[in-house]
Amino acid sequence: MATPHIEKLERGHRSLLKGFRNQEGSLVAYLQRFALRHAQKDLLSRTYLAIDEGPGGNRVAGYFSLATVSVERASVGRIPLLSKLPRFPIPGVLLARLAVDERVQGQGLGRYLFEEALGLALQLAMSGPVAFRLFVADAISQEAVGFYEKFGLQRLSSRLPARMVLDIQPLIAEGIGRVRGTRDASS
Amino acid sequence: MSRFQAKTNAVLDAELDELRRRLGLRPNQKADLLRELTVLASWVVRQAAEGRSVIARGDDDVRELVHPVIDRIRRANGQGAVSPMPVALDDDEVARLAEILDRGFDPPDALIFSLRRMADQDREPPELTWPDRLG
Repeated sequence: MATPHIEKLERGHRSLLKGFRNQEGSLVAYLQRFALRHAQKDLLSRTYLAIDEGPGGNRVAGYFSLATVSVERASVGRIPLLSKLPRFPIPGVLLARLAVDERVQGQGLGRYLFEEALGLALQLAMSGPVAFRLFVADAISQEAVGFYEKFGLQRLSSRLPARMVLDIQPLIAEGIGRVRGTRDASS
Repeated sequence: MSRFQAKTNAVLDAELDELRRRLGLRPNQKADLLRELTVLASWVVRQAAEGRSVIARGDDDVRELVHPVIDRIRRANGQGAVSPMPVALDDDEVARLAEILDRGFDPPDALIFSLRRMADQDREPPELTWPDRLG
């Protein structure tokens, strides 16, 4: 038995990435081919790894990637309820990817990674240099939709991949966002 | 005229093969494939370099081409820092978002539990058991 810890993806992790396994090939390919580039060269997203230390060496047990997004309208037509929305574009943080190695699924790591990601987003929303309103996730399967729904994210469409959102304004307003869990990840 | 060779892998090979088929080219027409793709890529890069967005319009939706290369070109051409990635919602999604934000907040038990855990100083990640490790 081992307990993983969270580290920000850096060049030194490269050799660990090739051992990561997941049923969704796109989640493996992203980690192995694009995550580092997006984090260090293109500055599009930042990836955090759950690194598990064991007698056989370190392994990537899971990861998540965060990016800032600008939620916009694809058309300009009038629709009902528009007046109830904040003015577009609405700033948000996108949980672009979250994956757990298929060999350690079902042990609570997915929930832990989700909490880390949400914690970072709340920390940024409360005390970061920019403001934003939505926590957004793209669920690539029905199983992922169910996972995010448990945490209060609501889907915007019935098709897959499903874009899902959580309004973080009430969380901040009620001060529930005073979280510690992000300390390791953000250091 | 110049000649060059590129080292590919299985994924790139499959992508190139798919593109070749879509463009109606035969397997021995690799030079034609390169020519066609160069024309397309040059146009896209030129638009980005001139500060334009590359947009695909469907019957009822509009999608913008988003790629790290596009951001790099914009940066290289002094068009500012990387802007947040755009997420475009269609009208149905916008209506649903309005409904969600208007309805108010009713956090499910799992979220409340998670928020409490996150505030717990002693919170630890789960211990993991790998099938090929004894401990």
